[in-house]
Amino acid sequence: MSSEANKATFESIVRPHLDRLYRLAFRLTGHQAEAEDLFQELLIKAFGKLDDLVNIEEPGSWLARIMYNLFIDERRRYARRRLHTVEEGFLPGDGLEGLAGGEDPVRDNERLEKMQQLDLALAQLSDEHRVIVLLHDTEGYKLEEIHKLINVPIGTVKSRLHRARARLREILAASGTFF
Amino acid sequence: MHKSDIDKEDREILSLLKDYPAAEPRAGFYDQALARATHEGTRRQRFRWLMTGFGSAVAAGIVLWMISGALLTAPDIPQPEATIPGIALTLEEPRTINLVFASKTALDAATLTVSLPEGIELAGFPGQREIAWQTSLVEGKNLLPLSLVALTPAGGEVLARLEHDNRNRTFRLQVEVG
Repeated sequence: MSSEANKATFESIVRPHLDRLYRLAFRLTGHQAEAEDLFQELLIKAFGKLDDLVNIEEPGSWLARIMYNLFIDERRRYARRRLHTVEEGFLPGDGLEGLAGGEDPVRDNERLEKMQQLDLALAQLSDEHRVIVLLHDTEGYKLEEIHKLINVPIGTVKSRLHRARARLREILAASGTFF
Repeated sequence: MHKSDIDKEDREILSLLKDYPAAEPRAGFYDQALARATHEGTRRQRFRWLMTGFGSAVAAGIVLWMISGALLTAPDIPQPEATIPGIALTLEEPRTINLVFASKTALDAATLTVSLPEGIELAGFPGQREIAWQTSLVEGKNLLPLSLVALTPAGGEVLARLEHDNRNRTFRLQVEVG
């Protein structure tokens, strides 16, 4: 296969999965610049494994596993700076307006404050707990998908999810987030 | 705290998590990332030819093959068909042999196929008599380290077949087992 054919093949396989992979990178790293680095490194690595990739039945899952392993290998490099996550202008849409509904400014502001507290609380979780709770409760990954992604027994995934939620509740309660 | 309070808090936490925002990729980021990946991936593949295994090159056997500019015609010295380089392996002791392909021109997307005689294996490819992969050669010397192990004393010829642009050339390496 020529170099151009390789590029075309690679793109046709990975492009349908880019949105989901980018969101995974963001959930793992918690920061846009680091998510971009991780995402880029994944694509470079995957292109080097094109011979394998063309024979994979579920390339999306395969790519996600490689990304997770890259993240684990270099988690220090992708040290999180999650406090940026809910800054105005960084949110999807139009900054704060993208999060708030606009019909009830008081209630929307209250929710934004809680979201900021959630952000701080997530930053206090271990990597293992934070990743699982974000993948399951935010991104909608099934337990089975997380089990395959991070390669730990499904029972461990369940217990980590349970403990992560309990820890979040504890932190948020202590911060006075619940009124 | 009552269980109903905990349930209410859990529901609120799940609701917050469900809406927890993620940054959107910059406009054009995917296209840039794909272009970088294919460019960088190709570059690294070429670089790997040169760099992989240099650390063990001093202790390892080195076999040099010359490739002419046209790859398959009028080969430079040594004539591979006339002079078959040889190496010796000790039974069941892996040894890294560095094959050097000296090319007068860069060759993109060449296919290299290594064929092994019965009783000789390539480390990491147990039981496989033929291993093929696509690679690129830079102008100048391209190093390919092969970790060979002899499982029987028979020995034989290892063949490295390089194909590019519908042309091919086969290099031979005589392996003796002591």
